[in-house]
Amino acid sequence: MSEQRLRINSENVVHETVDGELIAIDLTGGSYYSLSGSGPAIWTLLLGGASESEICAALAVTHVGDPETIRSAVASLIEELLESELAVPGEGPGNGPAPDAPAEKAAFEMPKLERYTDMKDYFLLDPIHEVDPVGWPRPAA
Amino acid sequence: MGEAPAATTQRDLAGEYLDELQARFEQAADGRLLAQELEIGGLPLSLRFAGEAMREALLAPFAHLVTSGGAPAALSISVFDGASTGVEAPLPAWDPVDAAPGTNPVARLRSARACVLAAAGTGAVTAAEPGRGQAAFYLPDAARISPIERAAPLREALQLLMTPHGRWLTHAGAVGRKGRGVLLVGRGGSGKSTLALACALAGMEIVADDYVLLENDPLENDPPLAHAMQSTAKLTEDSARRLGLGAGTIDPAGFEPTLEGPAKALVDIRTLAPGRMRRGLQIVAVVAPALHGEAEVALSPISAAEGLRAVAPSTIVQSGFHGAAALAALGELVRAVPSYALRLSPDPAENVEAVDRLVSELG
Repeated sequence: MSEQRLRINSENVVHETVDGELIAIDLTGGSYYSLSGSGPAIWTLLLGGASESEICAALAVTHVGDPETIRSAVASLIEELLESELAVPGEGPGNGPAPDAPAEKAAFEMPKLERYTDMKDYFLLDPIHEVDPVGWPRPAA
Repeated sequence: MGEAPAATTQRDLAGEYLDELQARFEQAADGRLLAQELEIGGLPLSLRFAGEAMREALLAPFAHLVTSGGAPAALSISVFDGASTGVEAPLPAWDPVDAAPGTNPVARLRSARACVLAAAGTGAVTAAEPGRGQAAFYLPDAARISPIERAAPLREALQLLMTPHGRWLTHAGAVGRKGRGVLLVGRGGSGKSTLALACALAGMEIVADDYVLLENDPLENDPPLAHAMQSTAKLTEDSARRLGLGAGTIDPAGFEPTLEGPAKALVDIRTLAPGRMRRGLQIVAVVAPALHGEAEVALSPISAAEGLRAVAPSTIVQSGFHGAAALAALGELVRAVPSYALRLSPDPAENVEAVDRLVSELG
């Protein structure tokens, strides 16, 4: 299991969770995503920075499920998140020790990440170019 | 991109550009300042024009928001063009962005104090200091204003000034009855403009077909509010035909290509449906229309997450500002009111009836 720490790509991605479904929008590419099942719980762990093994350890405390199923699901989701650049390699201390056990554990549900690209063409037609903070200075004439 | 000289790294180039643009406005407006007081998003706002050319080009879509003044406006937008005043915007302090034909890429320069947006296609420049409630807007030539600017004039300036006051620019229309209504959401081409205008033509109240300012908590326990911006709407030729609009109601510029797809023409909702425009509506539901060929109209509840998926992407991707906070505001909206999918019929009257029924049931 990978010890590589990852984090959500918060510079380029905004997200909101409603009724257990997380909506993430990629501000640089125009795609947007829906993450359901136990995916939002994994996303929350990644917000603070976490490795695959840390995520599995935390889910073992908060969720009920077959450890191998959870490990495999976490690995797959991490791969998808990295591929779509919703998550990026991170450093730092992460979330710290695994959370305390809740009064009642949630059943682990397979995370489902869906990608929507119907805004992509629209976005690419009229993009906003972030200019360098120091001004993207004009080259000397 | 070149290396910035070390001495410039602490400069606030966005703030400096804004100051220079404001100074150019004062120069352009010298002796011909025309001020117009408006109420937008429930807030007093002063539009300051450097001469008649820009006032004539940009004020008409805000005529329904004009007030006689009174309370001093804390918000103001200074508006001028180069051709009629002989005063041009300062040269950008950054490399220009190339615009391919039919596109309008925007260079954005931000600092803690100010934000500058320079559109490569139209040559429009917006600069604002949201903390002080001040913005400036420049166009090269008021007489050659592009359909993009005429469809949603001053959109970026208004967005920058309204956001600190909890008014979120939202890609949606709004229609209703007796001050309460629904937000019509979805990307361009979903049918929301046609539906909104059909509702207005059938006697319903309308705030907008395409952009509103959303205020989530106007008063404790009150529903969210959709505030009006401009009274212009965009329609395809097919939509105009379905709605039975005569040539006289369509802007003389006719149907022109748009960034998002089919050619559209501008109409003024006030002319099209006299007396139906409202400055705001309390929102009781989110409705996501979708075209389905020759199907019958059908309204069905969807989850809050589906409602968010319908309204958020086009709003956030287009706005580009305050993405996380704007998405949170839309999340608050879909938690506060129910969401519905509306399968549109080819017959506008059936669609209006479905919306009207929903408004009366929830209102």
